[in-house]
Amino acid sequence: MNDFSEIENELKKLRPAQASRELFVRIEQVLVAPEISEHKIIRPNRFRVNWVAIGFGLAAAALFIVLAQISTDRTPKQGDSIAQISSAPETRPVLTGPEGSISSSEFVPAGATQVVYNTRDEGLQFPGGSEQPLRRLRYQTHQTWQWRNPVTGASLRVSYPSEEIVLIPISGQ
Amino acid sequence: MENVATHEDWRSCFSELAPGLLLFARQWVRSHADAEDIVQEAFVKFWRRNHKIDNRGLLYATVRSIALDRIRRDSRRTRREAEAVSESEQVVEPQFELVDETQFALAAAVQRLPHEQREVLVMKIWNELTFAEIAYAMGISQYTAASRYRYALAALKRMFQPQ
Repeated sequence: MNDFSEIENELKKLRPAQASRELFVRIEQVLVAPEISEHKIIRPNRFRVNWVAIGFGLAAAALFIVLAQISTDRTPKQGDSIAQISSAPETRPVLTGPEGSISSSEFVPAGATQVVYNTRDEGLQFPGGSEQPLRRLRYQTHQTWQWRNPVTGASLRVSYPSEEIVLIPISGQ
Repeated sequence: MENVATHEDWRSCFSELAPGLLLFARQWVRSHADAEDIVQEAFVKFWRRNHKIDNRGLLYATVRSIALDRIRRDSRRTRREAEAVSESEQVVEPQFELVDETQFALAAAVQRLPHEQREVLVMKIWNELTFAEIAYAMGISQYTAASRYRYALAALKRMFQPQ
């Protein structure tokens, strides 16, 4: 027995206020509802950089520049030899396209296609503590870019896979 | 006590703990409703992470952490709850189910204790935590917890049973 046993016994007679029925109901509702923990929330990625698509895009651009450079290097030699054998001072290009102004090394965009081959519904998200749910859709596409040289008839085509994520606000009535 | 992870009925578990948890949460807020909000958040968090209910120190640490976060989050609330903590006479809703004048006087005496002593007292008397669990929940040593408890009892004895 210590000196405080009497006051301890008196304190233990005090009964704390009970929890309300509403608290039990609220906890049950929360426990029944699926958990959306912080680490499971996917933040809005409207502005997220798709590095894979950018990588393919840059690779395609680099390839295009290299091919265009190779074509440019060859053209003047052809022109020089023609100029050398020609007695006339005329320097009009030998190779002219239908448009006349397009050189043999110039490629013009001929087409672009985007084929959506898969769409996946990734469910509802609550990004950034938002009250309004957003539906997250993932589109998997295959993009193809095409260029054509109207002079030579050569064409260049670059294809790469791409992914796009779209968040659509859900509004309930 | 049973392990929460294998406990199918959270109700029986919570029924047992709720009054003590609410009283503990009331040490930071002035209304029963606010205390219920804190306890709900803490219990759901604790339950979902499948912690053992034996780990009561962690449960009370969770309540404490959520209560303090709440206070920090809202500056108006901070001011209001700081007043509630420092001027405990102004508590609006009773924390106990009082049956007579003696109990009323004792509850008032508890409210006049310094906050850190009252916190230990609430965990020890009405939640039956050990000093090790109290120390864990508050981030203090067991000796400090035991010391605060003794100071609280001594102060109550002086206030409630003046010689």
